[in-house]
Amino acid sequence: MEYEPILPLRTILFQILFLIVATVIEAGILRQRLRLGFKTSVQYAFVTNLATVVAGWITFLVIEPLVSTAINQQIIGYILFDNLLLNGWNTETGAVLFLCAIVVFFLAFFIKAKGLELFLKADDVWKFLAERGNQSASRDGRYARARGSSSTESSVPNFTDTVIQANAASFSAVLLLLLLRAVAREWTL
Amino acid sequence: MQDFLKGFRDEVRDLLWPKQYFSWQTLLLLSLYSLFIAAVIESTGGNNPEIVSLLTNLSWIFFIFAVWWGLKENPVKVYGFSISPWITGAVLCMFLFKPWTDMRFRWALTCWPVISVGVMALPHYVDWELKVKTPKKETQKTLVVTLLVNLLLSSWIQFFFRVQNWVGDYPSLLVSGLDDSAFVYSFNQDGDRQSQGVPLLETMVVDIEQELSGQPWYQTERWLYTRQPRLDEIARRAKESLEAPAEGDFWRVDAPDELRPIEDGYFLDLTASWTGPTSRQGSFYVQKTCKILPVDVPRPVPAEADKPQPTSRSTIVDCGEEPPIQRRSEESLLSSG
Repeated sequence: MEYEPILPLRTILFQILFLIVATVIEAGILRQRLRLGFKTSVQYAFVTNLATVVAGWITFLVIEPLVSTAINQQIIGYILFDNLLLNGWNTETGAVLFLCAIVVFFLAFFIKAKGLELFLKADDVWKFLAERGNQSASRDGRYARARGSSSTESSVPNFTDTVIQANAASFSAVLLLLLLRAVAREWTL
Repeated sequence: MQDFLKGFRDEVRDLLWPKQYFSWQTLLLLSLYSLFIAAVIESTGGNNPEIVSLLTNLSWIFFIFAVWWGLKENPVKVYGFSISPWITGAVLCMFLFKPWTDMRFRWALTCWPVISVGVMALPHYVDWELKVKTPKKETQKTLVVTLLVNLLLSSWIQFFFRVQNWVGDYPSLLVSGLDDSAFVYSFNQDGDRQSQGVPLLETMVVDIEQELSGQPWYQTERWLYTRQPRLDEIARRAKESLEAPAEGDFWRVDAPDELRPIEDGYFLDLTASWTGPTSRQGSFYVQKTCKILPVDVPRPVPAEADKPQPTSRSTIVDCGEEPPIQRRSEESLLSSG
């Protein structure tokens, strides 16, 4: 079979760019809030983001041949022409897309949290972190904080909180970049 | 010259000829030997395909191990990073997938990075006595990262093939350029591609000519009167005969509600509009016009002496020689500003 000279070069470029952005942002947050070393936090952020990206690709590659022609048409239009034919655009499609975004966000969070947990356990850092986390997240501590006595407040916040924060930050950054691209395109047209 | 050839020969012999029996060169020779034996058995014409396939498989396996071993002793390095597992992986993929057909080639290429990581990881998990061992934590981490990176490479390769599938199934997608895409880059920038609407209309026109030419004029008029279902049928057949028939769903063929009259006959304007995905510049359509005219032909009855030959009205269809014209849609140009 003959192949058209069409290569996913832009995919690769954007993927690398977004991976770098997400890694930098998440590494910063992990370093600040979990008190990890500079090198380790960059490593963790990179691996967890890579795992998320790979999971996303596999999901897309598995689902793409299974969807209906109408949806497939939208996918082709978006990928080849950056153009969603929003003929049937209504509240329902909006809701579905919104729901998809939320699901993607929480799946990404789940993968990152699990991956980070595994890596921390492999490095034997998990115990310390759990101890430190327990100090602040234990029931007494929380109650104490709720009552307003801040004497037991720890400087290390919860692990889950940190991961969700890092995830939200990197998602927002990538979304911002995508928005900027769209705006820049509208300008040049 | 003589010296150079001799030196070269010695070098090749040093590289390929085993110094010890337990070495990768021995495996390479074993591989060649089994291949040779297989060829001999094949050429003697004996009817024993099992033995031949066993020997060729054996030859492959020897070859893979020879490559693996050889690269372990003389690693190929790019910027200090050993790419030996990927070479062994490529040979292993060739053996596993036998990528001589398109489908197998795609799978082989997609799996190549992941299989290479397997080749790379195996020695860390199994030692020379075939006992399972657990590698160091640092190595495990490196392996996980390598696996993830290679999974990403596999995904990109598979994505490339998906895009190829799309443009193979729907070649008219390429009429609107891919410059806007955030995902792919097309090296074919020579613009002005012909869509499949052109062959679609050409097939339809030939069909219409065949159906109407030489028909009595009254039947042609009836055909034109009920043209919509007939045209639909012809369009359906033409879509099936396209080079990439999957694309048929994306073409809508229209004839106007009112026929344009000319002299005694009519113009039949056929339009095939692309309804599939397009760039923001909007869609396009293909147009072709046929002239359908009555003509008087002499009837095959003996003429009476002083009267003119009796005639009947027949039909000629003239669609012209020039190919259908492809244009951008006006309305979407207007609506997109």
